[in-house]
Amino acid sequence: MLKKRLIPKLLIKHRPMGRSVRPVLVTTRSFSDAQDVGDPISQAKIYEAQLADELAVLNIDGTPIAGDEVMLDLIERLAEETFMPLCVGGGVRTIEDFGTLLNRGADKVSINAAALASPQLIGDAAGRYGAQCVVVSIDFRRDEYSRWMVMRDHAALSGGRELLDWAREAVARGAGELLLCDADRDGSGGGLNWQAGQQVAAAVPVPVVLSGGCGRAEHFVEGFKLGGAEGVAAGTFFCFRDQNPMQTRAHIRNAGVPIRMET
Amino acid sequence: MTKAVRPMVGVVDYQAGNIQSIVNALDHLGAQARRVSIPEELRGLSHLVLPGVGAFGFCASRLRSSGLLDDLARWTLVDRLPLLGICVGMQLLADSSDELGHQTGLGWGGGRVRKLETDSRQIRVPHVGWNTVIFEEDFGEYRSGDSADFYFDHSYAYDAPTVAHRVAHCSHGRLFCAVIRRANVVAAQFHPEKSQSAGMQFLRSFLELRRDA
Repeated sequence: MLKKRLIPKLLIKHRPMGRSVRPVLVTTRSFSDAQDVGDPISQAKIYEAQLADELAVLNIDGTPIAGDEVMLDLIERLAEETFMPLCVGGGVRTIEDFGTLLNRGADKVSINAAALASPQLIGDAAGRYGAQCVVVSIDFRRDEYSRWMVMRDHAALSGGRELLDWAREAVARGAGELLLCDADRDGSGGGLNWQAGQQVAAAVPVPVVLSGGCGRAEHFVEGFKLGGAEGVAAGTFFCFRDQNPMQTRAHIRNAGVPIRMET
Repeated sequence: MTKAVRPMVGVVDYQAGNIQSIVNALDHLGAQARRVSIPEELRGLSHLVLPGVGAFGFCASRLRSSGLLDDLARWTLVDRLPLLGICVGMQLLADSSDELGHQTGLGWGGGRVRKLETDSRQIRVPHVGWNTVIFEEDFGEYRSGDSADFYFDHSYAYDAPTVAHRVAHCSHGRLFCAVIRRANVVAAQFHPEKSQSAGMQFLRSFLELRRDA
């Protein structure tokens, strides 16, 4: 049967180093306080050895991916040095960007701000590349009325979209997968927002991946069993925590969640 | 490689998706892999891979305008050399696909491609992730009854059709063909180049096929 997915997130920033610019792996807390944690390629290989089901690579500078040889070269090298599925996002603006990334080695391309600005892009990309390549990434947080509101460019728009509403629209337009991230929980280690996940998962027929706040193996179990998630993406959890990834998998499996245990 | 001669594998580059990952995986296995974008580049090859990422219609039209179709047909139907279709590459080999109405495939693999259906919130489409493939026949390193998990990412799949061509099946809402084989034509719905060591074993098994006498 279909297994649930553990998806390490590689958050990438561009760092000038001498005369060149290098892609650096970082972690964040509530989408800020980026801390350098090392080289993305080495970390990706470690994740692969630890049985990661998929890798999410996100350019958090949000600079346009078109012509960004630093990021594009990184994706190409990741595809060369690892043999695992790659979802790439950050700065994707046009349908040509989809093609560029898919040709360099991405299996799926994630759009966030561009989808909010021009929802048409979702359907155009799905029409050419298939829904299975189109991931709509949604960052959200509670507003002052406790509603889950979609964020845009790391800020909740006042009078913006509600999470459920946008999730439904994105899927209706052709998104093959949703990647939800609770901004308040990002990097907190306090647990996923599985409640939001549950509502979104009940509302759409496509896979939903939850992210933001994993601190213990049990949080993953909540995401899968309570949150309706097909995948859980985590950045800080895999970088900093002392957790042994295989123990995390074993804990998840022992909780009755189908998950890969060997290559 | 059990044989002395290194396989020379072409990966058809028809501007529809990721060639490099497949080339990388084949390199990793010790084969000599290269892109094929013009007919001349087919010379000297022992195996061919037809990848495919994208909607069926988009890929089919790119393949048609690639200038390679006649030579691919000769490779497959006349010379009967080993051909591996992957994901949409597999679907292009079908008789037909239901994606966007009814579209005709190349027919070299046979069979019909239909949409996977969600029937509950347990079965979601696209089918994304690692799922178990059960082999019904011997194929390369696999024996009938073997199973392995591979990475899938698709919304359409072969019906479980003509048993004669079904090498392995998988299930997601319904049973579908994960691997088919019709003489020298093999096809996989999953992505062996993204399925880590399981995928490597599968590619090695394909490379064990030699020219169909």
